[in-house]
Parts: sequence; structure tokens; C-alpha cells
Amino acid sequence: MKTIKKPMSKKTKTLLLMIMPALLLFVLFNTIPLITGAFYSLTNYRGYGSYDFVGFKNFIDLFQDSRVGKSYLFTFKYAIAGTILVNVLSLLIAMGLNSKIKFKSTLRGLYFLPNILGGLVVGYIFSFIFTYIIPTAAKAMHIDFLSSSILASEKWAWVGVLIVGVWQTVAMNTIIYISGLQTIPSDIYEASSIDGAGKWYTFRKLTLPLLLPFISTNMILSTKNMLMVFDQIMSLTKGGPAQSTESISYLIYRNGMDGGQFGFQSANAVVFFIVIVTISVIQLVITNKKEEQL
Amino acid sequence: MNHKKVSTFLFAAMISASAVLSTGCNMNDADDEKTIINMLQYKQEAVDAFEEMEKRFNETHDDIVLQVESPYEAMTILKTRLIKEDYPDIVGIGGDINYSNFLDAELFMDISDFEGVSDIKPSYMQIEKDLEFIPQDGVYALPYVANCAGILYNRDMFEENGWKIPETWTEFTALCETIQASGQQPLYLGYKDTWTTLSPWNSLAVGLSDADICSQVNAGNTTFTEGYAEAANKIKELLSYAEPNPYAYSYNDACTAFARGESAMYPIGSYAVPQILSVNPDMNIDTFTFPTNEAESDNILTSGVDLQFSVMKECKNKDAAYEVLKFLYEDDTIQIYLDNQNAIPCKKGDFTLPAMLDGVKGYIEADRMSDFHDHHYPSEMSVDAMIQTYLMDENEDAAADFLKRFDKEWVRYNRDLIEKVKKYEEEQS
Amino acid sequence: MSSERHRVPEMPKVAIKKACEIKNDKDSKSNIFLTIVLILGCLTILFPLYMTIVIALKSPSEMTNDVAGALSLPSKFSLENFAEAIRVTDFWNSLGNSLLITGITIILSVIIHSMAGYAIGRSMARHKGFKMIYLYIVSGMFVPFAILMMPLVKETAMLKIDNMFGVILLYVVFYMPMNVMLYSGYLKNIPLAMEEAAEMDGASTWKTYWKIIFPMMKPMHATVAILTALGTWNDVMTPLVIMSGSERTTLPLAQLNFQTQFGTNYNLAFASYLLALIPILIFYILCQKKIIGGVANGAVKG
Repeated sequence: MKTIKKPMSKKTKTLLLMIMPALLLFVLFNTIPLITGAFYSLTNYRGYGSYDFVGFKNFIDLFQDSRVGKSYLFTFKYAIAGTILVNVLSLLIAMGLNSKIKFKSTLRGLYFLPNILGGLVVGYIFSFIFTYIIPTAAKAMHIDFLSSSILASEKWAWVGVLIVGVWQTVAMNTIIYISGLQTIPSDIYEASSIDGAGKWYTFRKLTLPLLLPFISTNMILSTKNMLMVFDQIMSLTKGGPAQSTESISYLIYRNGMDGGQFGFQSANAVVFFIVIVTISVIQLVITNKKEEQL
Repeated sequence: MNHKKVSTFLFAAMISASAVLSTGCNMNDADDEKTIINMLQYKQEAVDAFEEMEKRFNETHDDIVLQVESPYEAMTILKTRLIKEDYPDIVGIGGDINYSNFLDAELFMDISDFEGVSDIKPSYMQIEKDLEFIPQDGVYALPYVANCAGILYNRDMFEENGWKIPETWTEFTALCETIQASGQQPLYLGYKDTWTTLSPWNSLAVGLSDADICSQVNAGNTTFTEGYAEAANKIKELLSYAEPNPYAYSYNDACTAFARGESAMYPIGSYAVPQILSVNPDMNIDTFTFPTNEAESDNILTSGVDLQFSVMKECKNKDAAYEVLKFLYEDDTIQIYLDNQNAIPCKKGDFTLPAMLDGVKGYIEADRMSDFHDHHYPSEMSVDAMIQTYLMDENEDAAADFLKRFDKEWVRYNRDLIEKVKKYEEEQS
Repeated sequence: MSSERHRVPEMPKVAIKKACEIKNDKDSKSNIFLTIVLILGCLTILFPLYMTIVIALKSPSEMTNDVAGALSLPSKFSLENFAEAIRVTDFWNSLGNSLLITGITIILSVIIHSMAGYAIGRSMARHKGFKMIYLYIVSGMFVPFAILMMPLVKETAMLKIDNMFGVILLYVVFYMPMNVMLYSGYLKNIPLAMEEAAEMDGASTWKTYWKIIFPMMKPMHATVAILTALGTWNDVMTPLVIMSGSERTTLPLAQLNFQTQFGTNYNLAFASYLLALIPILIFYILCQKKIIGGVANGAVKG
């Protein structure tokens, strides 16, 4: 027993040391500022000048604020639809780009582009498409539903933001799925085809389980990206029309940084943080359980 | 212990890199005996004018070095510098709620003993006074230039069709109908960017309600439901003379459309002119005052302070800062700015106004001006979005709902301020 | 397995079947049908790209709200906007700073995050402590940046790292949760056998890591590099607030030049964005080769 235990603990020590640089930086530049920010949520700080301690007033206000409530509804509606779409599309595109196709490199390069086009470009181009191109085309084809810009519709603007959001983030998740697919050795497919397993069966029983760590990573990353939607809103709608696309991150930034509500929006951020962490921990626990079962 | 070596090396590399990079920025403190005045101004588009001013100042002053910074996203930069406690000596910002907040946070110095104060037009000094949450003793901001908002119109279109500049609300709506009847479009609004709704809103509010309505509400003397009722009705009337579904078109779309002659008028501030001219450089644009009332004599031009200077409390060289201010307010220096930007000087004296302000010259010369109401709105209240929401609301009692919401949200977003004002008034009486 | 499908909901079965079929068709040549489908999908990217290029080639006076006019080619072909954009943004200088920031961030991330990811990934299942560290770091991903911003500005100023170096350190922290997650996830598909063999031969954990594991994770390094670069390359906010007041500027910061409060020069801006796109695109294509190149072949997790 002794001889086994000793090298084990030495190994653990080394492993701990390997985490240290990361952990140190993380505490310094994430945890400490987070605690500072959380402290401001108990004040009426404007971001400069003096401030008073106000206790939990900001939190009480938060739960009574209909604008904040509306932003939660929008954000979650957006995030659920977005996470599903992004994961389905990026897995399909990744499998497509990973198979034997012509112009492989060019296609991979092209599918990567949306993610690196700047917000100004994306905002201008898609606004133009939604405002001018689609309505013109719809009128020509007599489709009433699309004959005016969906970005101007209180009911449907979120779909416009969603389309652009998905269009932009798919690239990132595709890259992760592509590298995930590389870890699946081709010989197991050969083995399964010798066994005479069906294609759908192979996908379900081999590809999917082996991709599970990547699916779980991608689910969490895309949930996070979608819940924190900000750039697309800034460049497409700025929260409009009629305040129907104000996301939580947009409110926190706009009113906390530009406006004088730093203390209140810090409270909003703290609550939002707790909500997302809870969701992701649940996600993690579920996928980890799945992995352990395999 | 190989791994210790590597990690020690890594950290040593990081620390030395940080040392190199951070000292690299502090190297230019060469001129020790000279006083450095650091100024941060927020009009990034006027960077050329300020570079010229900086050059001229430094050529004529041996003991003071003026450093002007005109960064992009200047307000964000200014706020981060306040957090870092890296205070500029002088700030050039707009006369809006940001100034009110900074003043309330006691960031500025009283400059009432600066001799140039008396050269500023009284109406602009009054605008500054009205921006104070709690009335202050002393002067904390010097207005430099102003902008104004009314209705931009296409001069050539007006001349070709023989349309006359309307002077009353009835004339204005009649003109819009004439234009419509001729198969053209009177107005372009571009309300997709919510902030553009504030331009006609400000003009209507200035013309139809009291200039100090916000502080009157804070003091509990009136409500917006009362004060803004007419403005709310009239802003909705504009919709029938504009492009259908204006919420689909952005500020940029509206500028392009107006530049392309798709509408005869565009209710926006003079600040939009450069963007319009970039699309159609030969366009002939002029402004007229929004004819909000039934009598011409009741109309007031919306004009606010676009750029003003304040000396920070932390400034250690008051005399040098005053020297810079003195230079900035010399007629020649102001002219540098006016040649570069379309603006109305706040200093008394003879300056040439840009041609696109011909139509409002009379108002400027007669000092018939009042500040943009949104300079008093807290930005986090998002009044622009509320107006957009109201305009999209097609219910019969939309106006009543909007005004009720205005009153309710006003109290919510100004809670601390209202408390402060009440406390102050109690102390006074 | 049934709850599995709930986790990845509503997969269009036919499409996936198709994709699998193709993947398994070892002996066939390139799949033309799939190529066509992917090219059709690309149209959603090529069309906006076409608009961007056309606008970058036009002058402001050619801008219009009319669909045909907006999609038409510029009246005369000229690269003037690109030259002007290079001048206005002080392109080479800004590019240098952006490359430096992104480059060092990537190198530090690959070293620091892979070590952490390895340590966590290999001991998470056995040690509760490592699992806690993992959850702790991953949860950092969900902190809204707006709440960290002001404290970070203050902190970096106090530590005298309110400069490019500070921005790099912050990036290393911002992308740590994602990268640690990716590395530790990837390790699950790398078998323990080789490490165990090396350790049997008496190699230390440290040595085993750098000699065996680190090279084996090459595809993941490439993935991490490209994802980190994606995040840093276009980022405006961090350098804006952290380096405020310093003379140095990055490409996205310089591009703010085209937008003032009341006007945007889209033509110059688009030209500049297209120029800024090229370095990262090249980097991506290089990384792609590495992602595909280093397959952990013939090994399945036990």
C-alpha cells in the first residue's frame, strides 16, 4: 500500500502545481473584481464620485422592475432557440465539412467568416437585408408576412436578431465539433460496418457518445453565448422596437456603464450570474452522468 | 525539479515583460519645469481643430505645455480615467445629464473668478445653471459652442415648388399636405435608431412646455401628463407625413434618403448635415425652427451647449488652466473651431454662422433659444425608447398611457435626486 | 440513451443519416451531393460578403437605399478606400499591436490552460478538490463583463498594468474557462495507456506531460488557438477601457475612427474590416491543418 500511495501524492502535488498559474490569474482578475463588483451592488455608486451603502435596496428594486423582467423573458426565449439551432447546425456543418468533399479548405474557410466580420459590418449588411432586400423580394412574390422589415416588428424582431446571432456563432461551435470528430478513430466505423450496423445506429451508438464531451462543451458555450447576447443587439436593434429586444447584458451595459445605474445594474449582474451558473451546473452534472454511464 | 524551473521562468518572463511595457509609457516626462495641462475633450470629429489649437498654444507659451486628447468613445475613456484617479486638468464635454452628474459628484472646480465668464452669452450661462441638480454657488462650466435642432429642409426642392417656410403649426401641416398632394414625401423620420425620436420630441417639448419642467416635476409642482400632453399628440401627427413604418429605417437610412431627395424635410439637428452631405455633396440644406405653436412669436429654437469646458477639482495648476481657457476663448481660436465644425459660438461677438443655419439666424441673434429637454433626462430611463414604444402603440389611449408611464418612470429613475432636491428645499425654507 | 436525444433535441434525422453515410463511404470519391449542399449553405455567407466588398469599393456618394443600386458594382474600380483606410487607422502600427496582443495571448493560453486542463481532466474523477476547481473556473465564464469592467480598470491601474500586457493577462483569464473545458474534455478521448507506460518507466508526471501529452494535444492546441484568437482579434472593449490614455492602439480601436456620434463612413470602415479579416483568416487556415493533422489514431478510450 505504501509504495502505491507515495507516488500518487507526489503526482497530485505536481498536478496541483500545474493548475497554479491559471488559478492565480483567475483569482486575481476574475474573482477579486467580481467580489468588488458584487460589493457595489449594495451601493448607489454611479461609477465615479462618492456613494452610499443602500443595503439590499437594489435587489428589491430589481425584482419589481418590469423592464428587467421583460429582458429576462427575451433573453431566455432567445437563448433556448439559439442554443438548439446553433448546436444542430454546427454539428451538421462539422460532419459535412469533415467528410469527403470538394473544395474542403475553401469551404471551411468560408464557414468560418461570419464569426470574424465586425459588428459594424454585420449590423449594416443585415439591417439592409431585413429592411430593403427581403421586403422587396417578398412584395414581388406577394408574401405579405415579410413585406415589411421584421426588425421593425415588436413581435418578430427577436427572430431577426436570432438569425444573425446563430449565423455568427455557428462558426465557433463548428470548429469545436470538427476537432471533436478528429478524436473518433476511423477503424471503429469500419468495425461497425463489418458488424452490419445501420448508419443511423452507428451515429447514435458510436459518434454521439464519443462526441459527448464536445457536445457538453458546446452546449455550455452556446448557452453562455446566447444568454449573454449583446453585440447583435447593439448592431441591429439597440433594444428596439418598443424595447422588445433588450437583453440582460444589454441592460447591464447600457444602464450601468452609459447611464448612472452602476450599483443597480451590478445587482442585476449578480443575479444573472447566479442564474446562469445554476443552469450550467445542471447541464454539466447531467452530461457528466451520461459520460460516466458509458 | 524541472517543472519549477519552467514555471519560475514563465513568471520571470511575465514580470519583466510587464516592467518593460509599463515603464515604456512613462518615459515622456522630460520637460520637468514646464507645467503640463492635460485636456480631454469628447468631440472626436473635431480632432483636427484641437490639434491646430494645441499647436498654436504651445508655440506661444514657453512655460505651459497643453496636451489635448480627443479619443474615440471619449465618455467611456473619461469615466475609466475617473476610476483610475488619473484626472485630466480640463474636460471638454457636452452640456447634458453627464455634466449634471459629474457636477453632483463634486468633480469640478469653481471658476467664477475666471475673467472670460462675462464674455459668454447669458442664455447659455442660464442653460448651464439649469443643468445643476441642486443650485450651486459659482460657475462650473464655460459653454464653448452650441448646436441647434429644428427641421432640415431641401432648399432646392422648396424653391422649385415654391413652398414657403412654415411659421405656425397650421402652416406646417398645410405644407405637409401640399407636398403630399404633389406626390412627394414631406418628412423622413428614421425611427429604427430610437435616439432619433428625441429630435422632434425636443423641439416640440421646447416649444410647447416650460423650460424647467423637469425640475418643476422634481419639486412636485407639476406632472408630465400635464406638461407634455400637446407635445405627445403632435409628435404622433408627424407619422402621417412620413415614410410608412419609420421603425424599419435607421438614422443612416434617413440621412441617405433625405440626401437623395426622397423627402423635402427631415426633423433632426444640424449635427446630421455632414453625414447627409457625404452622400450628396452638392445638396443645398437649410434649417428652420420647428413651428410648434399657432403664433410665430411663441416659437423657440432648440439649442443646447454642444461643447463646454470645466476645470477638474484635482487640477493642481489653476493659473495654467486659466491661461489655457483664456487662449481657447480668444476670437481667433474659436474661429479655428468654427471653420472646422458647424457650430454656434457661445461667446458674444461677431462670428460667421454656417450657411445651413441661415433659417434660424434670427432666433440665434435674438437669443430666442431654449435647451434640449433630453439633456435633463437620465439616460438609463431611455425616454427615446419610450417615445418609440408610444408611437408604435396604436391604441386609442396610447398618449395617456405614455404620459402616465413617463411620470411613473421619472420618479423611479430620479428617486435619489428627488430626495436630494426635497432635502435641499427643506434646508432652504 | 433515450434521454441523450433530449439533450440534443430535434435533430433532423434524415440529414444526420446522410452525413453519417458519407462519413463511412471510405472507398468512394468526393461526395458531390454534399459538396453542393455545403456550397448552397455558403450562399448565406457569400452574399453578405459580396455586399461588404462592393460597399468597400464604392464612395460615400454612391450609397443608396435602393436595392438594385446597393447591389450594383461600383461605377469605377478603385482601391482608394483601402489605401485611405490603411492611412487613417495607421494600419501597420495597429496591426502590429493587434498581432502582438493576440499572439502572446495565444501562447500563454496554450501553455497555462493546457496544463490546468490536463491536471483537472486527469484527476477530476478521483479528487473532489480538482472537480471543485474545475467548476470554479468554468463558472467564471458566466460573469457578465460589465460588472468586472470597472473593478478591473481600477485593479490594472493599481498594478500598473493598464497597458497591452494587462490586456493580454485579462484575455488569458477571460478565455480560461472555455479553454480549460476544451482541454479537459479532449483528454477524455486520449487513452491513459501511454502515460501509464511512461510512468512505469520512471518518468515524472511533469516530464510525461511535456513529452507525451502536450504533443498529443496538438489538434486541441490549434482549436484553442483559433477560438482564443477569434475572441481577441475583434475585441474593442477590453483595450478601450484598460489602455485608455495610452498612445498604443489596436486595429479594432483604430476602426472606431470611422464612427462618430452622428456619422459613419461605411465605405472606409468596410475596407478596413476586410483588411483586418485577412490575418485571422490565414491563421485559421493554418490552424485547420493542425486540427486535422494530428488525429489520435487507433486509440479508443477504455
